Amino acid sequence: MAHAVISCLHANLAAVEAVLDDIDQQGIETITCLGDRVGYGPQPNEVVELVRQRAIPTCQGCWDEDIIDGLNACECSYPSQLAERRGHLAHQWTEAKMTEDNKAFLASLPTSLRRDKLLFVHGSPNSQHEYLLPDMNAFAALERVETAGAETLFCGHTHQPYVRELRGGSIRVRVQHHDSSSSEEQEMTLPMRRIVNAGSVGEPRHGNTQATYVIHDEATGDLTIREVNYDVAKTCQAIIDAGLPEVFAWRLSHGFEYAERADDASHVCER
Amino acid sequence: MERWALVSGLGGDLEVYEQIQRELKKSRGLERLFVLGDLIGPRHNSDALLKRLQEPERGDLQPECIYGWWEEQLLAERGYRGERTAEALRINHGNDAVEGLLTSVDSGHMTWLASLQFGFIELDCALLHGSSADVGDELKPTSSPLILLDRLTRLDVNRLFTARSAQQFRLDLNGGAIDSHIKDLNGEQNQQQAAPKRSVIGIGSGELFSLYAPGSDHIEFLKAGGKPVSRGLGFG
Repeated sequence: MAHAVISCLHANLAAVEAVLDDIDQQGIETITCLGDRVGYGPQPNEVVELVRQRAIPTCQGCWDEDIIDGLNACECSYPSQLAERRGHLAHQWTEAKMTEDNKAFLASLPTSLRRDKLLFVHGSPNSQHEYLLPDMNAFAALERVETAGAETLFCGHTHQPYVRELRGGSIRVRVQHHDSSSSEEQEMTLPMRRIVNAGSVGEPRHGNTQATYVIHDEATGDLTIREVNYDVAKTCQAIIDAGLPEVFAWRLSHGFEYAERADDASHVCER
Repeated sequence: MERWALVSGLGGDLEVYEQIQRELKKSRGLERLFVLGDLIGPRHNSDALLKRLQEPERGDLQPECIYGWWEEQLLAERGYRGERTAEALRINHGNDAVEGLLTSVDSGHMTWLASLQFGFIELDCALLHGSSADVGDELKPTSSPLILLDRLTRLDVNRLFTARSAQQFRLDLNGGAIDSHIKDLNGEQNQQQAAPKRSVIGIGSGELFSLYAPGSDHIEFLKAGGKPVSRGLGFG
């Protein structure tokens, strides 16, 4: 059975509608959402209500968390101070715009969902704010999946879709105990694990403006990254009409991050 | 050759600290003393030790301290950690332990305790109480090598000194590799990554302490008032 995984909707109603249509057209009935329904985009209530209406199981993203708890992440969530200031503007706008009912709904979301050996999170099993980038140290990436007791980890947060398979791994260790001058050597064979990043429906940053999501065929194990066209200009206009920073519209119309990349994107927020 | 003394888990016991200081005076080449947390504990009144750490006596090797799990619990319970309280202590040891801890430290030491750092980075070494993930993280010889490598990678260090497990050990990650296959919208690529050669070193606790020579990567495990527990491990 195939299921679809979507992430980072970011209050972009046109993109969400287009992706849900694409999923429906393929006859896929099971959808999982990895959070960030709101933030940056102009239609937070509409997007939250649409996903609620469709009863799509969702875990909580960093934006969903921050709208409820206040800005709770350290500055590591943003790649620069400029990006942080813009992010705070979007946060204030979204918080003022959202209904109390929708905020209460976001507050009720779990931080992870599990189905057998499949684990669904927003950032990483450690934190909604941790970025699992495709070039992250392979051993550290494997540790995230293995420590969480999963075989395949679905995540979002980076807005860059990818499928990463970690296989054929081993680590040799030598242990010397305090009371012995001899040492023990052993080799640990590492299991094969996968990390699947669903990209972003509402704010793609993979170098293209199309919304992305992934389809996983549980029977064959196949994973497909889908790109979906939607009316980008419509959402850009809505951003400007809403009074949100124009750079968010610029970013949507280019499909990549305006600001510089974080120096240490894999940093785990400690707050 | 420069050497460091690594101590932890004093638990307020001034006698053990004085014994260690006496033994350090006999050692050659010792330049620095790192006290990796758990200065305090519920069993002893910690005030005398805390005073000695802040105001070393003449001839003492100057201690450089970080906070440990017990300090974290005290700081949380006394309101220095936002809304958190000493929940971990309460769950694991009960309310009596919380009360014992509160009465073992005079409030006059709180500002100093609150100023202590999570850890030190010296050369390519991380000196921590638990690990780079958490002050309460117990790294042991039996910990998964994946977890150990992760804790080293988070700080990008070659040596991680830890005290939380109270054990003295040296674990060298000395080889291995992993294949990474990445598929994205631009295509597919394969990479092989070699496991870096790095080490996690447990320094012991209380009367068990360690000496480390960063120049030779030589570790020596000792017991205060006793003979060396080991004659030296590493590449010295």
